[in-house]
Amino acid sequence: MAAHALACRAIGVTYGSLKALDDVSVAFAPGQIHAVVGQNGAGKTTFARVVAGLVAPSSGSVEVSGNSVLPGNVAASRAQGVELVHQSFALPPSFTVAEALEFGFTGKGALYSRPQLLRRWQSHLAALDVSVAPSARIRDLPVEAQQGVEIARALVTDAKILILDEPTAVLSPTGIEALFQRVRRLKAQGVTILLILHKIREVLAVADTVTVLRGGKLVAGPLPVADVTAPLLATLIVGEAVAGASGDVAAALGAGEISHTAHRGLDSRPKVADLNALSTRPDPEGPALAEASLAIRAGEIVGVAGVEGNGQRTLVRALAGLVETTAGTQHLAGVGSEKLTLAERRRLGLRIIPFERNVEGLSLTSSLWENWVARQLVEGKLLSFIAPRRIREACDRALRAWSVRYETSTQRAGSLSGGNAQKVILAREVDDDAKLIIAAQPTRGLDIGATAFVWQSLRAAAARGSGVLVISSDLDELFDISDRIVVMLSGRIVAEFTAPFDLGAVGAAMTGAR
Amino acid sequence: MIDLIISILRSGTPLVYVTLAGVIAQRAGVWNLGLEGLMIIGACATVLGIIVTGNFYVAMAIAMLLCMLASALLWFVIDRLKANPIIAGLGLTGLGIGGTALAVQAIYGSLSAVNAPIGVPRIGPLFGPFAPLSIFVLALPFVVFGMWVLLRRTRFGLRLAAAGEHPFAARSVGVNPSRMRLVALLAGGVLAAIGGAELAAGSLNLFAQNMTSGRGFMAFAAVIFGAGHPIGATLAAFFFSVVSALGIRAQLSFGDALPHDLLQALPYVATVFGVWLSGKLRGGLRAAGGGFGELRDN
Amino acid sequence: MQDQVALILRTLVFIIIAILLCAVIFQIAGFSAPLMLQSVVDGAFLRQGALPQALRWGIPLFITAAGVALSFRVGFFNIGAQGQFYMGAIFAAVAAELMRGAPAPIVVPLCLLSGMLGGALWALWPGLLRVRSGTDEVITTMMGNFIAGLILVWITSGPLKDPSGSGQQASSRPLEAAYRLSTSTGISPIIIGIAVLVGVVMWLLVNRTAFGVLAGLSGRNGTMVAWQGARIDRLGLWSFAISGALAGLAGTIEFMGPNGRIASGFLPTHGFTAILIALVANLSVIGTAFVALFFGGLASAALYLPVMAGLPAAAIDIINAAIALFITAKSATLERLFKLRRAAR
Repeated sequence: MAAHALACRAIGVTYGSLKALDDVSVAFAPGQIHAVVGQNGAGKTTFARVVAGLVAPSSGSVEVSGNSVLPGNVAASRAQGVELVHQSFALPPSFTVAEALEFGFTGKGALYSRPQLLRRWQSHLAALDVSVAPSARIRDLPVEAQQGVEIARALVTDAKILILDEPTAVLSPTGIEALFQRVRRLKAQGVTILLILHKIREVLAVADTVTVLRGGKLVAGPLPVADVTAPLLATLIVGEAVAGASGDVAAALGAGEISHTAHRGLDSRPKVADLNALSTRPDPEGPALAEASLAIRAGEIVGVAGVEGNGQRTLVRALAGLVETTAGTQHLAGVGSEKLTLAERRRLGLRIIPFERNVEGLSLTSSLWENWVARQLVEGKLLSFIAPRRIREACDRALRAWSVRYETSTQRAGSLSGGNAQKVILAREVDDDAKLIIAAQPTRGLDIGATAFVWQSLRAAAARGSGVLVISSDLDELFDISDRIVVMLSGRIVAEFTAPFDLGAVGAAMTGAR
Repeated sequence: MIDLIISILRSGTPLVYVTLAGVIAQRAGVWNLGLEGLMIIGACATVLGIIVTGNFYVAMAIAMLLCMLASALLWFVIDRLKANPIIAGLGLTGLGIGGTALAVQAIYGSLSAVNAPIGVPRIGPLFGPFAPLSIFVLALPFVVFGMWVLLRRTRFGLRLAAAGEHPFAARSVGVNPSRMRLVALLAGGVLAAIGGAELAAGSLNLFAQNMTSGRGFMAFAAVIFGAGHPIGATLAAFFFSVVSALGIRAQLSFGDALPHDLLQALPYVATVFGVWLSGKLRGGLRAAGGGFGELRDN
Repeated sequence: MQDQVALILRTLVFIIIAILLCAVIFQIAGFSAPLMLQSVVDGAFLRQGALPQALRWGIPLFITAAGVALSFRVGFFNIGAQGQFYMGAIFAAVAAELMRGAPAPIVVPLCLLSGMLGGALWALWPGLLRVRSGTDEVITTMMGNFIAGLILVWITSGPLKDPSGSGQQASSRPLEAAYRLSTSTGISPIIIGIAVLVGVVMWLLVNRTAFGVLAGLSGRNGTMVAWQGARIDRLGLWSFAISGALAGLAGTIEFMGPNGRIASGFLPTHGFTAILIALVANLSVIGTAFVALFFGGLASAALYLPVMAGLPAAAIDIINAAIALFITAKSATLERLFKLRRAAR
């Protein structure tokens, strides 16, 4: 029997009191595509980082092709041919593509001229069929190109084992297909591939074997994919069932079938938000909005699909009044709102669950009550007197109503788990006065139970009469909860679909291929 | 005219060396506000070292060693102990100013200026009217060019920049960002020591209490003004010293007609202008409202 | 509560480390470190009359530090307290000069106001540059210190020069006794009253207003507050203005109280010490008051050392600087130790 390409023995990783990985022993055969799956928080990324040497395990060892590797040492892992492609790419934004490839290179030519550098990496990119100019800056590249560069970076040395951490999360359906093609080509060249995934559909489409992690423990694997079915995998990933949410669980796992919400005929309800041919200045985080028209009615959930970086952030900023508009009109709850500040818009009933939970949504080093009361304070007068004790009591009531698991309202927000942190944001942003709730990537990084909770909360808010705008790069999520989906491409709204949705059609709109 | 050029080179050279120390630290992601302190330690150690040993090169080596030691202390505090770089840098500056004053007082029993018998070797009569300039002035173009090559044309420079801009990216290719910061700060210690030596022993051959008078902070501003680029920052530093030289020139020409104390403020005003302009053109280098501006390290 | 105990413990540990570093420096410089530290403690806290001295130096430091703490709380590194302190004194001195001869009940309040205005204006220009064009406020406020220092030299050796003055330090004409807030002891009911008023107002502002909560949130995470709709630039400008006004008030008190005149380069480390106080007190208003007393003691020791013990005053600067070096440090080891203790309970 051939030696294993990669063997992990009894790996354990602890962060404080949390066991991120617990006694994981698993071995992978060479020259195959191995999927590692599990829900968020199952330890997939930690596992990948241990293998790549980025995280030092508290116990256990890693062997590559039979050679044991110094644990927690990236250089040692790289010397053995292990390379990791990160989910959020590890490329300095100000670097050019050539520089980003060069800085991790270990071969000859540490002193170079610019033309030398470009020539050196031009051929590398061409060989991998990554069509990006080596002189382009990383920050100017769309995400799919960045991923190509990130893979090219991982292959600057002679990689034997390539690990890709959730590579599909940011891609369109066509992008995912292209990625799978690329992975298969690498496999044909003899590279052993570890794909960290969380969609069952993708596992079945690309992998040779599948390994399941749950709560930091190895549940099963590597199982030949030919021997598993979608329901079996779903059971392995989730463990016990999540109460009353089997449809949501299937959607969260991308388990083949996509649930359809029937279009609920809300056309007669009042518009809570109405953008009319709205254009903005470019935003630091994405393209300008170009003549975007979009109406959201009370009680309706509208999904915004699109590959990341196609103006979704600008759309949210435009609705929030955080980016200057150059043309067009917008109305919020029936009031012309182009000139309004965010505080004024919030008084009209705008609520925002922002993209970056830990940066834009919460101040992690501030107490829960301060985080919770911030919105009300902003809506009031700056010099108004407050009674902290009364606020803390109100905060306790609200957090309990949202079943947040916490100790005291004075603890830091950073001490909560992702799901509980998101509930704090929900407790702040979802109230009876909410007219339009913008939920940007509301379930990113959450486990399945928390994901289902967020979806149910948004549905309930819509049922109470709020309009909900959900921005997500997860099509399964959008298909599961939206009444209507619009697709964004290069700052424009290019297509609109009503339930039931068709994956092929939405996916094609995302890349502009109609 | 030649007088003016000489005076600009004299006042500009120390500033440029210290600026380069700031550039390499900034590249590695450290806002080094300890430059002022390093510079004065370099100045004081050079002068006292010359007096004690009688040899400039030995004195220079001592000064470099002390500045590297101080840099290592700063690195330990902000990297290992995660202290705020700005406050810790100000602390190092205070230690430098206070420590050199203490040293002078301990040795001479007073705070008056200390004269050294010799200074930095001069470039000599081969250079005609520029003969009284020090060898550090002559070396400057080579040092700036070398710094540019190191930071912009080598893999080491890329790794340093990656460690500063995206520590996680650096770590994921096996580069230790923390070690990179140490290397950058130690190199900065050497450069700041040269800057201090040039200031104290490049022309006057004396050390006076608090003689850096904000030059370290100006160097820091030159880093911002020059967008962290070795050549840009060098030009920015020379811009400040040109303004300063013109102020002195104006004073000589107009005498008491202009308030001489306010003319002295010109380089500081120019510094504000430079930082304002770069903020206007490129946006601040430091993120807005970023709390205590801690080192990024995810 | 336990977090606060941990915080105080951590602060103390790092202050002790800083003082050990100072001891090493003293020893290397050729002084006896134990003797030096003994003299510092004597001068600061143990000698006769130490407490009134600590108060005299501590009160202006507290007023400036309360302002510095506010701007740090909002996340702006206003390190220009020294310049704002000088500009406050200068504005007050000019106002007093212009109103020379007018009745004290008019002159004194107007001088105080004008001092606060001077400090606020000297803080506002870096503030405006910061929020309008992203100009780094660390540099601008620092340069503001140097510029204000030179303006002080100019004004005391030019427009306000005391012609009878001799000696190296240029200074202004002495303030008429009727306008003085205190004698050279620096302690009087009105000065203590002002300090108490500043403390109460700042405590209410920080702990009992929406401004205070939003300011704290914005200092820890400005992006989050911006997404809530708060105007960070406005919070920032107010904090700059208030901290400048308080530094200016402290400068005015030094001028109208113990000093009775302004002199070029007077109290050159006031601003830096105030920054230190704010940080040691972890930006809390009440903490600032106590810590200011401690550093007030050290400041008075700086006068005592050369005279009574024949030791250099620079020792105090070194102690302050070493504390600054360490005060924002965090230690994983310390935190673990504390967690273990908590877990054991």
